Amino acid sequence: MALLEVKKMNAGYGDADVLRDVDLHVEEGEIVAVVGSNGAGKTTLLRALSGVIASRGEVRFAGRDAAGMAPDEAFGRGLVQVPEGRQLFDRMTVQDNLRMGAFRRRDAAAVRRDFQRMYELFPVLGERRNQLAGSMSGGEQQMAAMARGLMAAPRLLMVDEMSLGLAPVIVERLLEVLTDIQKQGVTVLLVEQDVHSALSVADRGYVLERGRVALTGPARELLDDPRVKEAYLGL
Amino acid sequence: MLVLQVLTNGILLGGLYAVVALGLALVWGVLDIINLAHGAFIMLGGYLTYYLFTGLGLDPFASLPLVMLAMFVLGYLIQWGLLNFLVRAPMFNMLLVTFGIDVVLTYLAQIMFSADLRTIRPAYAGSNFTVGGVTVPWTNLLAFVVALLLTGLLALFLQRQRWGRAIRATAQNLGAARLHGVPPRFAYALTFGIGAALAGGAGTLYGMVAQLTPYVGVPLTAKSFAIAIIGGLDNPLGVIVGGLVLGLAEAFGSLWLGPTYRDAVSLGLLVLVLIVRPTGILGRAS
Repeated sequence: MALLEVKKMNAGYGDADVLRDVDLHVEEGEIVAVVGSNGAGKTTLLRALSGVIASRGEVRFAGRDAAGMAPDEAFGRGLVQVPEGRQLFDRMTVQDNLRMGAFRRRDAAAVRRDFQRMYELFPVLGERRNQLAGSMSGGEQQMAAMARGLMAAPRLLMVDEMSLGLAPVIVERLLEVLTDIQKQGVTVLLVEQDVHSALSVADRGYVLERGRVALTGPARELLDDPRVKEAYLGL
Repeated sequence: MLVLQVLTNGILLGGLYAVVALGLALVWGVLDIINLAHGAFIMLGGYLTYYLFTGLGLDPFASLPLVMLAMFVLGYLIQWGLLNFLVRAPMFNMLLVTFGIDVVLTYLAQIMFSADLRTIRPAYAGSNFTVGGVTVPWTNLLAFVVALLLTGLLALFLQRQRWGRAIRATAQNLGAARLHGVPPRFAYALTFGIGAALAGGAGTLYGMVAQLTPYVGVPLTAKSFAIAIIGGLDNPLGVIVGGLVLGLAEAFGSLWLGPTYRDAVSLGLLVLVLIVRPTGILGRAS
């Protein structure tokens, strides 16, 4: 059974629907990429899934109905978002940012182990744990945002535009981290404008075009599919 | 010798001022609400302490936690039942509503407690000790210590405790806080409740060193506002700086210019800080 199953989702702002009849599913342990050009509805999809905006349609998460949840409820059930633009708590230390990731967790011993894990995964965060998050570089901030999300012990980590504005070498490192955490059993829904890098680590992909799923399939096939380029360029 | 005495008075007054402004600064910094009823909360805390003392014989320092708890509940309910509906409203609406709460509380107090002057005077009130020619009243010194203690506890809570961090997170980035499982309505109500509890505690201390009337609220709100501006909103320890600056300025202002100019000194200082350093002395430069 799929970890996340979305059927005929419609969502948007005010009367205008951005997403139209989106069907999507994520299996346990997968990395699934959602790609598309600017304005295709990628961020809207994540915002609808984490309950920041209202949506219509069927959403099932971990076998339970998950439509219309409030954001803190979605978070409590393990649907964790790493938002676009990092959205760190700028005037809190790196360590406190990670602690906020573990806000809902009660298992103190496991949280301590996860702190250790994060600092192994991102050594630079360990070095800067007492530094204010807002004072770090963009790449370090993205790492802190991912670590904060992982500290929640997510069942599904939804990563929004993590490569935006970052140097290729840092994007490479972040993609490696995604495959690392996949090996550790975390399921990832990756939303990206950067089609190539997203599909290079994903198992499957969806191409969104003007709020609809234009194409879907195994990531390797999509990488070679000329229609992806067409959809992406809006041709 | 006179200068030393005035210095001591100013510092003791400053500590009290710090705790007077603490709740207002917290609520302002986190919720972006300038709570015009803050002084009325202090007034209520003072009366509560007064009646616990005269009615039940409870020592004011012993009743402090009780008063704070009662004021926490009141503040929590006001935020939960009323102000939460206005959180994203323009600032002017919030000013009107909190001003309305101030008016209601002030006149309820006038009806229930009468307009007579009240002072909380336990047996040790008026006793003092002398160090090197400087007279220190015990009550003022204790009030000073408790004020610093409360400020320190708030700073520790915000820095170290889970919900303290959640409150800071909500203040810094509401969207991200929600995404990480913080229910904002609860965080807001908790913050406002803590702000009211601190006002209540300030009222207990205020009632021991000054006279209570139902009308002390508005000038106390104005003073808290000045202290919060001077100290900045980022750090609870800023109000200690703001409180001390104001306490000393008023003490020396009274000495050199005469007590009539006391309020002119504090409000003049406010204007000066707003011109020179609008984010406060400890506040972050924007």
